[in-house]
Amino acid sequence: MPTVQLFATCLGDLAFPQAVADAETLLRQAGFDVEFPPRQVCCGQPAFNAGHRSAARRVARSFARAFSRETPIVAPSGSCATMASHYLPELLGVEPYEVWELSAFLASAGFRPLPRNAGRRIAYHDSCHMLRELRVSAQPRRLLGGSGAELVPFARPDLCCGFGGTFSVRQPEVSLAMADEKLAGGEGAGTIVTADPGCLMHLRGRAEKVGSPVRVVHLATALARGVRA
Amino acid sequence: MPELAQPAGRFREIARGKLADAHTQQALDDSTDRLRTHRLSAWAGLDDVEALRERAHAIRMEVIDDLEGHVARFTEALEARGGRVFRASTAEEASAYVAEVCSRAGAKIAAKSKSMATEEIGLNEALSAVGVQPVETDLGEYILQLAGEHPVHIVAPAIEKTAEQVAELLSAVEGTSIPPELEALTNAARRQLRETFLRADVGITGANFGVSSTGSVCLCTNEGNGRMVSSIPRVHVAVMGMERLVPTTADLAVLLKLLARSGTGQKLTVYTTLLTGPRRPGEEDGPEELHVVILDNGRSNLLRGRYREMLACIRCGACLNVCPVYRKSGGAAYGPVYSGPMGAVLLPLLVGLDEAPSLPHASSLCGACTDACPVKIPLHELLLDLRRDLVEEGVASRWERLGFTLWSWAWSSRLGYRASTLLARLGQPLGGLLGPGRVWSAGRTRPRFGRRYRDRRG
Repeated sequence: MPTVQLFATCLGDLAFPQAVADAETLLRQAGFDVEFPPRQVCCGQPAFNAGHRSAARRVARSFARAFSRETPIVAPSGSCATMASHYLPELLGVEPYEVWELSAFLASAGFRPLPRNAGRRIAYHDSCHMLRELRVSAQPRRLLGGSGAELVPFARPDLCCGFGGTFSVRQPEVSLAMADEKLAGGEGAGTIVTADPGCLMHLRGRAEKVGSPVRVVHLATALARGVRA
Repeated sequence: MPELAQPAGRFREIARGKLADAHTQQALDDSTDRLRTHRLSAWAGLDDVEALRERAHAIRMEVIDDLEGHVARFTEALEARGGRVFRASTAEEASAYVAEVCSRAGAKIAAKSKSMATEEIGLNEALSAVGVQPVETDLGEYILQLAGEHPVHIVAPAIEKTAEQVAELLSAVEGTSIPPELEALTNAARRQLRETFLRADVGITGANFGVSSTGSVCLCTNEGNGRMVSSIPRVHVAVMGMERLVPTTADLAVLLKLLARSGTGQKLTVYTTLLTGPRRPGEEDGPEELHVVILDNGRSNLLRGRYREMLACIRCGACLNVCPVYRKSGGAAYGPVYSGPMGAVLLPLLVGLDEAPSLPHASSLCGACTDACPVKIPLHELLLDLRRDLVEEGVASRWERLGFTLWSWAWSSRLGYRASTLLARLGQPLGGLLGPGRVWSAGRTRPRFGRRYRDRRG
């Protein structure tokens, strides 16, 4: 059986363990043996994006120590997959790794999800790095469609949700206004699905705070157990 | 020179005010959406927009690689045609030169067409100080001048104003009541400005491009005021950023294909004017004197090094129109001249990082700007590098540096990660009381840290 290495990402590991479990379920359903390299911590992106390169390097080295180049690395995050594939090798001066965002990997493996979302309406939120650096946007939609969901487009699917790492606390008013616009755009569907734990933490946290009726669900959860799980 | 420096906290303060103003928010949404949609359909109408963007990038970088050579060729060609070139290393030098030209011409009124470079050097203030009245003739700029404000968008300077506000400003000039309807408003502005064109002794413009091989100045305008200003007054002064050169007219054609399409979605601006020297003997039109001020003001510091690509910017405004942060904060938050992603990159480079420490962070790094840039400047990556410089030059706060350093030590090993996450779990009830956790919690619930995935998995 082909093997993949699962990169939980720090936010996944700490704040959204269920989404990571769902990602693992999907990978197994797709016919892969899933390894969880035990030394993994984080790709260093929080520091890297804030300009703290030596701190980022220190943390990124843990990624380099944990993962092998023998088998694909799959992360339930477009943002961390971008960091690990596009920026980390240059930051550390090492050879690149084969890093995939979950839905891109599943789609390329020809995975057909179970019909967990039959009759459900979903608005899919493109996370920025996944859309513009990995250029992955069709695969998650196709998978959600394959799970029976009806996809309701956002008026401006390209707009950032306003998380942006430390941006969310450096410019909190602008960040929240961006979240509010995104949440309002998801009201028609009732559920926003995103492939990134960062967007999830920000949007769900905002929705809960203001009592928005919109549910925000990780893509892995939506595919493995359905958005109402 | 206008205060280009942006003290820490200023962006947030101004953005907060704009967010509280529902009208401004609506205007920002509508105008940026419209300009963005127009750009996308204009780009879609090109045969191969990617190839064209690559070509445009290459042309711009060719100039930046040998900027001194291009400035020399431009100067030689223009002087051969009877034009005069003045190289200004600072804003003050540039303004002083223009003021002197005006004084020598005995000018009372200087008619101006839209120019970001003259905003950058604070020309209007400098002219007023020597008794020359500068009158903006671009409709948006004219409105702002009446309001005593600065542009909030590099292409559409007054997009945050409503028709009602404009009507009020124009009515005050004539002492009559002008209805807030587009035709009435433009007619009123036309009436009011016509006088200026005829009375001005000096016309002042910017320059969208300069052509090195011919010494030509290219102006792209939509209202015709650029032509009036550069042809009716006896003296024409063009203020051009030193990086705005292109090698040949063929190269100019490539950039013109992209400029208006990227800014407003037009194939070309209504008027594209190529001015090559002043009026020659036997010609009926044109100014007797043509001066081109080539402005450095910090640009040559960027020529070598990471940020040189920023000099490729053609000021089309596309990055502003796609920026989700600009869409909320509005343009004034970035300062009085440049705004949006291009401003967030350029301003710290012109005034120094310690003078604009919040601008590299006035972005969620979503990368929409980079995708929209017709000359392929990697804007969000430049912001990322400026953030690195903030840390490495010691501008970032000591607390921030200490925080990331401690965090990175903890998370450099599995054990440290385990210890720190255990502490974080224990400290969760306190997480919303201090620092970033408190800011986060003011607007969002905090995620609950329970058992880690790795512990659940066993």
